[in-house]
Amino acid sequence: MIHLTKRMEFCAAHAYANPAWTEAENRRVFGKCGNLHGHNYVLEVTIKGEMSPDTGMVMNLSALKALIAEVVMDQFDHKHLNKDVPYFQDKLPTPEHLAVVIWELLEPRLETCQGVRLHRIRLHEDGSVFVDYYGERSADV
Amino acid sequence: MSEQMGPVGLPVVEVTHTFQFSAAHRMHSERFSPEENARIYGRCNNPSGHGHTYRLQVTIRGPVAPESGTIEERARLDALVQDWILERFDRADLNRLIPPCYGPTSTTEALALCLWEILDDLLPSGRLWRLRVEETPNNFIELNRTEMDRSAGAGLRPPMERGQKASEG
Repeated sequence: MIHLTKRMEFCAAHAYANPAWTEAENRRVFGKCGNLHGHNYVLEVTIKGEMSPDTGMVMNLSALKALIAEVVMDQFDHKHLNKDVPYFQDKLPTPEHLAVVIWELLEPRLETCQGVRLHRIRLHEDGSVFVDYYGERSADV
Repeated sequence: MSEQMGPVGLPVVEVTHTFQFSAAHRMHSERFSPEENARIYGRCNNPSGHGHTYRLQVTIRGPVAPESGTIEERARLDALVQDWILERFDRADLNRLIPPCYGPTSTTEALALCLWEILDDLLPSGRLWRLRVEETPNNFIELNRTEMDRSAGAGLRPPMERGQKASEG
């Protein structure tokens, strides 16, 4: 099994606010992140599979790039995540939620690519914070 | 994406925060003669000491709480690292800070074990997931939950005496 990673960047704005909370409560929990601001996100999509003996590839990187562009970049790049992206209408656009949403968008599309599976979504919000998601869910809800 | 038809349970993610601190040290083990120390540690045994800008990556793992969109302890992770690690290890001499229970001298291994214990004590059980300590961009140590629990279970890493712990120093 070989892991293959494609790295892509997108830029987007967001603000944190939980509508169920008071303004003071939001300010206490989210601080400056309650103000509208933005990031240069760096997305690393890691897939796993076996190398094709014909092409020497796990997956054609240009196909993977086109898929990420269609599924992620077109919806997220240079957008206001709270306003423009439907997944964040009722969900805070934290890097944790972004990583999970991106997993849920990409995983079914990669399932149709023979012999390839999504392994990890790594999302860097800036140089000092990143989130990894492997598709795992807790049993206790 | 929404709960009604989505998978059951909360997504479990790993979040990594990166920090840095600058510290001096000298590699020297009392278990060896001065000649042996010079041979084993080479330049790092320089009696005057030397220093590094250490880079620290702390990874916590847990379910994403829907109301905050994050792992519960992430909001206080920066403050914990600031108060318990950076305040003490930045601009400091590691040889004075790493208790002998973590290793014979201030290697990155001993430093990482010491920092692991400090953070693991401060966070809920199992929340600390991975620690990466870079002495330089070319040399780094990684510790992870699975291996740390395994070595503790196998008696390779005896539980520290309370009085010895760096987290209480």
